[in-house]
Amino acid sequence: MAGIVLGNTLRSAWKQILYWGFGMGLLGVYIVFIGSDADIVQGYASLFESMPPAMLQAFGASSLELFSSTEGWFVSIFVSEVIIFLSIFAVMAGLNITANDENSGNLDVLLSLPISRATFLMERWIAYALLGLGILLFTAALTLGAMALFSPAADTGVVLLSMLNLYPGTLLVMTVTCLLAAVLRRRAVAIALAAAFVVASFLFNLIGAAASGAIADLMQQLSYFSHAGGEDIVLGTHDPAGAGALLIIVAIGFLVSVKMFDSRDIGL
Amino acid sequence: MVPNAIIETRGLSKIYGSGAQSTTALDSLNLQVNQGEIFGYLGPNGAGKTTTIRLLLDLIRPSAGAATIFGDDIRAKSVDIHRRIGFLPGELSLWEGRSGKQIINFVANVRGDADGILKQAEKIAERLELDTTKRVRDLSSGNKRKLGLVLALMHDPELLILDEPTNGLDPLVQQTFHEMMNEYRQRGKTVFLSSHVLSEVQAICDRVGILRDGDLKAVESVEGLTQVEFHHIEVSYREAVPPELRERLAGMPQVSDVAVHGRRLDLRLVGDFDPLLRELGAGYVELLRIEEPTLEDIFLAFYSDKEKV
Repeated sequence: MAGIVLGNTLRSAWKQILYWGFGMGLLGVYIVFIGSDADIVQGYASLFESMPPAMLQAFGASSLELFSSTEGWFVSIFVSEVIIFLSIFAVMAGLNITANDENSGNLDVLLSLPISRATFLMERWIAYALLGLGILLFTAALTLGAMALFSPAADTGVVLLSMLNLYPGTLLVMTVTCLLAAVLRRRAVAIALAAAFVVASFLFNLIGAAASGAIADLMQQLSYFSHAGGEDIVLGTHDPAGAGALLIIVAIGFLVSVKMFDSRDIGL
Repeated sequence: MVPNAIIETRGLSKIYGSGAQSTTALDSLNLQVNQGEIFGYLGPNGAGKTTTIRLLLDLIRPSAGAATIFGDDIRAKSVDIHRRIGFLPGELSLWEGRSGKQIINFVANVRGDADGILKQAEKIAERLELDTTKRVRDLSSGNKRKLGLVLALMHDPELLILDEPTNGLDPLVQQTFHEMMNEYRQRGKTVFLSSHVLSEVQAICDRVGILRDGDLKAVESVEGLTQVEFHHIEVSYREAVPPELRERLAGMPQVSDVAVHGRRLDLRLVGDFDPLLRELGAGYVELLRIEEPTLEDIFLAFYSDKEKV
């Protein structure tokens, strides 16, 4: 029966939208509230102005120009934090697709039902992709609501686009984790490697942005952080090719996951 | 293919690992389970019973050989096959935070015709005295097993594959389970169950396959297996073991391994008790202890008898 696993997963996990969305949304409301005070934003700008570029990158801001607008300030502070939280969610979601059920033994019952492994993985993947989108939209709804209240002049469209641009990166981390679990079977190894992927991407972006030269540029391009942020959108220099590339990698990773999961022994 | 073969394996093998660390869990299994029979798959722990079941369910993939269920290849037609079978794993793991009812609903929905299946599930749960409103984490191991049986039986499958089905069930529920299996067979359905409990296999199975170290040693009717049935007997006398009793017992063809330890007499009996009891009455018996043979004992006896033949 098509869609049963999808529906069941959404029914059992929809509260994650509230938990994650509410948590990140509250952080957004708090930052919006702070940002409504022009003196505070100016203070941040002055502080960052005195920092070397590498330090500035460490705080998630690639350009001082961002601090000239409320939305720029918000995106540089908030989005750079939310991407970390979403990466954590994505690792957990990737593990929930197959690894956790395999580790606990539930997969034996699930895969003895009339459902193919490919369908099972696909429906689980779609369910968690939808949950990730739900979390993002819930977070956006809270923060944009607060923005309308505290900073009515801010360009909420730019903020919304910046937040939605986090989605391809979230899908990428989820798919990489799913792929690792599909290949490796051992959940602990999959967790370790998925975490290493996130940390390495973060460092690649950080080092790539702080340093100069071809290698530094390449490092930054290899990091999903550099394609998933919203600062380029605020500055009007956004190239959607980066997000497109992430989505292509996601599609390839998903297909490889299905193939690997379908061809190996389960539950050993 | 034999027309009424429900399960058929040909050279089915499974090797775990590779190189020097590889382990042969199942070695060229050739087995046929026919429609309408309850087939017991016997063997000690680690013999390869669960490996066979996992191969049949396409949870693991064979290193060599092939198998069919309902005449269909277990890999190519796994979804169609799974629609027609019920499965109870040896180590049943279910979602701890969900109630039995929620899990039953989910499985019924995956199987289709949810209404009919749910009604059937209710009847089975009632018969097994299972409270489906409780969360899995609040169920005892026996009740979890009952829930597993409900999930396996509720869609009235043509074939049941059960891995150690009565593990953790109390004797009364075991009895109910045996009744259910007999009813199931009467309706022309097929059961493939693994066990290491001989009495259970004797109670409900038509034929048994004996597996050891991944190798199918024999397929026998239950009658054939019980011909080698024996018991270990320990007799404690109030005073010394009656003189000449040991010699008299040693002369009885159905008695062997006679040993005297002070006032205690140990022996092994094959067949009826009556001739032995008449001899044992020569002294005042304080305690008579009769032990069922272990599967390993039966297995060894079975093969030593075969070798003698």
